[in-house]
Amino acid sequence: MNADVIVIGTGVVGCLIAEELLDAGHSVLMLEAGPRVERWQIVENYRNLPPTSRLHFNAPYPPKPWAPHLMSATPEQAAEYLQLEGPNARAYQQGYVRYAGGATWHWAGICWRLTPDDMKLKSLYNVGRDWAFDYATLEPYYVKAEYALGVCGPSEPELQWPPIRSKPYPMGRLPFGPGEQRFTDAAATVGLVNLPSAQARNSGVAYGDRPACCGNNNCIPVCPIGAKYDAATSLTRIESKGGRILPNAVAYKIETGEKNKIQAVHYYDSEKNTHRVTGSIYVVACNGIETPKLLLMSTDTRNPNGVANSSDQVGRNMMDQPKLVVELELAEPAWTGVGPVQGSSIMETSQGDFRSEHCGALFRFNNMARSRIGATAALAQGLVGKALDKEIRRQAACTAEIAIEHELMPAAHNRLTLSSKKDWLGLPKPNIYYDVGDYVRKGSQVFSIPTAKRLAGALGATKVDISTQYTNSDHIMGGCIMGNDPANSVVDIDCRAHDHENLFLPGGAAMTTGGCGNSTLTMAALALKASDAIHLQLGKA
Amino acid sequence: MSNEIIRDDSPAEYNLSRRKVLLGGVVLIGSSYLGPTLPAWADSLQNASYTNQFMQLSTLLVNHKLDKNVGLRLAAAMQTSKRLTPQQVTDLLGIASAKNAKIVEDFFPDIPDGPLKVAALEIISAWYKGVLVDAPDAEVFTYELALMYQPTIDVMTIPSYAISGPNGWTSHAPPLADMPEF
Repeated sequence: MNADVIVIGTGVVGCLIAEELLDAGHSVLMLEAGPRVERWQIVENYRNLPPTSRLHFNAPYPPKPWAPHLMSATPEQAAEYLQLEGPNARAYQQGYVRYAGGATWHWAGICWRLTPDDMKLKSLYNVGRDWAFDYATLEPYYVKAEYALGVCGPSEPELQWPPIRSKPYPMGRLPFGPGEQRFTDAAATVGLVNLPSAQARNSGVAYGDRPACCGNNNCIPVCPIGAKYDAATSLTRIESKGGRILPNAVAYKIETGEKNKIQAVHYYDSEKNTHRVTGSIYVVACNGIETPKLLLMSTDTRNPNGVANSSDQVGRNMMDQPKLVVELELAEPAWTGVGPVQGSSIMETSQGDFRSEHCGALFRFNNMARSRIGATAALAQGLVGKALDKEIRRQAACTAEIAIEHELMPAAHNRLTLSSKKDWLGLPKPNIYYDVGDYVRKGSQVFSIPTAKRLAGALGATKVDISTQYTNSDHIMGGCIMGNDPANSVVDIDCRAHDHENLFLPGGAAMTTGGCGNSTLTMAALALKASDAIHLQLGKA
Repeated sequence: MSNEIIRDDSPAEYNLSRRKVLLGGVVLIGSSYLGPTLPAWADSLQNASYTNQFMQLSTLLVNHKLDKNVGLRLAAAMQTSKRLTPQQVTDLLGIASAKNAKIVEDFFPDIPDGPLKVAALEIISAWYKGVLVDAPDAEVFTYELALMYQPTIDVMTIPSYAISGPNGWTSHAPPLADMPEF
């Protein structure tokens, strides 16, 4: 099989690139390790889960044997695929889906941009790294990504993050439910602004082939009506444009040839048969864990440490936003759960001169419906009758949680390597060492936890329980870090591998730093920037 | 290579067959056919007296509108899993009868601690949660009819369903005291 462009991975990054290049007249073949399913199947899987299992966002996506991903319903499941070590191993239990459509199946749809300052931390604060280009370079791609994903957001500059935009959002903001309004009002009393999120969800109107959001409050783990962008919504469109999508095709080796150009990709099908596909340009977009894993597996005499790895940076600098969760009990009802599961955040707390000393953080009032949580707590008390119903209503309305997501710097020791343990196909499992570091720990102690306590006080909390262990935010970044210097980075400003002129590694793995907001819009912008470069390169060919 | 679109079925352990089989079983019983392919618990459903008593007891323990099909599934599963015996149903009904109970508050304090009270609480819990045991791989008897969503149904949707339309929600926060009827 052959195509102008071979794309490995059918998540947001792979699908954006595929569609851009199809529109430009190039042929595209996409390989997807996992299965392809219909939306209704995921919805029914979700509804057939026992109540507590509904909290585990990967649970409606049982992995195929040949395409394992993290399942976390039990500790045994959690230990099965990702091999984690280091002081904060638990905080790298990243949820992602090896299905056609990728992890956007169960993302919340939030589309924060990086700020200009986020992209020059070394220059401004002498921490982390500077990006190889500035915000102005990325801005047009942010706009293009917002229109490709269908992002809604506020029109008032004072409510935008950052308010440096060349074009309005394609749709206006979604309304707040009572919970997020309550949090916004409480934040204001301590001098903080809770901003309506930019989010890839249709606000009030249909957008493209997606209907308007109706507040099903199930963005995680699956939007039942496809009002939220997920890459699965683009698969049939890609096919209608001539793209070929091959599910259950597990890429396991990238083959190099003359001048160290990539000349083929080898994959296993679901019966362990091997196949080889060829193209002019190769795009590896399998998320921030599977991409470096594939590169490290692809060793040959020219590339003894793996493809694209002459710098020894492949698999290093693994990042996320380490998260703490503040559980609250309130005197008065907050009523979260009206509208999407996330819809706002305090962002200004991510910026400031303090970044030379410690991290900043984002604060979000999670907006998931808490009826199930209330019922579980009330039933555990042995209540019956009217007392039971009253306590369910109180627990659901008067409990809430604030998520704190911290900015993590790239560090070489936070590293993905190949485990000696093998998966069903005999391929090595990913092994990740993870330490959030003193920059984050200090930021939590001197800044984010005290701020969260002030917010809890402003909300009238009668009980505040702050988690003592960092957890994952599922924003996988850094394993193929971008930079101008091939000696200490993996890809150039177009996400092209320094070592291979026809290999592109766009997405979270290429991100130089991650800020405090989720990474998807930046990944999408990088994908579209890479698409331009690929188109140009194919034209030259 | 053809442009054939390849799709996968939902994996067996999560597919729809369980709920379809259960509902199908109930329909078959209604048509008085009891073939060899019916689930093992189907025998217990022939005992109309037990299932009727279970529903009667459920109505006393949970004072809301209860779905009979969900009740049939719960009754059978509780008996099959030995979480509830016909004798316990009779005993609990006896306590309610002795108190001339109309609602759970009338007789619940009279249920003795121990297996009988555990069984009563499990019946209540199952109606609210839609499962007998809230553990991975547990069988779900109902999702949308689980009563746990009802005390907040005026505000919170049952996740994956919707109670408003496009941008049809507001920041209005109703009082806790306004308990919905259900």
